[in-house]
Amino acid sequence: MDGSSSGIQEPFDLIRLSLSERVFVKLRGDREMTGILHAYDGHMNLILSDVEETIMIVNEGEQATVSVAKRKMDMLFVRGDGVILVSPPSRT
Amino acid sequence: MDESPPPPPDDAPDTQTPPPPRTIHTGSPTDFLKGVVGKKVIVRLNSGVDYRGVLSCLDGYMNIALEQTEEHVEGNVTNRYGDAFIRGNNVLYISAAEEL
Amino acid sequence: MASQVLPLELIDKCIGSRIWVVMKSEREFTGTLLGFDDFVNMVLEDVTEYEMTPQGTKKTKLGQTLLNGNNICMLIPGSDGPES
Repeated sequence: MDGSSSGIQEPFDLIRLSLSERVFVKLRGDREMTGILHAYDGHMNLILSDVEETIMIVNEGEQATVSVAKRKMDMLFVRGDGVILVSPPSRT
Repeated sequence: MDESPPPPPDDAPDTQTPPPPRTIHTGSPTDFLKGVVGKKVIVRLNSGVDYRGVLSCLDGYMNIALEQTEEHVEGNVTNRYGDAFIRGNNVLYISAAEEL
Repeated sequence: MASQVLPLELIDKCIGSRIWVVMKSEREFTGTLLGFDDFVNMVLEDVTEYEMTPQGTKKTKLGQTLLNGNNICMLIPGSDGPES
């Protein structure tokens, strides 16, 4: 079972190859963030630095609007069970 | 997903084994996954969000690596990723989007 | 004595037949069962997905599909689902 083009044998290789790179992370609860990936484990617990988090807030009302809140953090631990998706920087 | 021990036969050895209906190479989940690597797939999460892309590989937890990924929410493309790692606990199904 | 047909032996007999899968949530699938494993992850073919929402039922046709066993609630052998 060889990765079709990029020499990836298992999904975690994708994460391993993204160490020290800026990654995009999608979390449960409509949270998204980008940060520099420093460490991860088999649970997908992550250590990120220089993080910018984006939170979508749906405002109920006459016309439902979505506002976006952003905040920055220097260093962050992300618990793996909240992770939905991790995308490395595009190598194209 | 290594190949080491061959999986046990699907049913216990039977004295009167009926002829297998049709021996196609797609039976068990493992067989399906072997056949679908490198193909276009639709991965639907429990939240209802779809990821369409080429399946690079996956592991026993259904963690998935996808290439050329499009994120679809309610029929609209909401994001594109060159590569994407999807944590297996979120996966509802993996469906072949082209003939196997 | 208690009958010793294990539940998964029954499902094994359904391989090659239509089966109706009801999830824990408001979601159902029908398809031809090609195989399954000890976690009841299932490989189905000629699949229809039914999503029940307050706005109605949304149907999606799928080809060969590996369904995660984690959120399966019930299996109805031989049935072609909510429309039959």
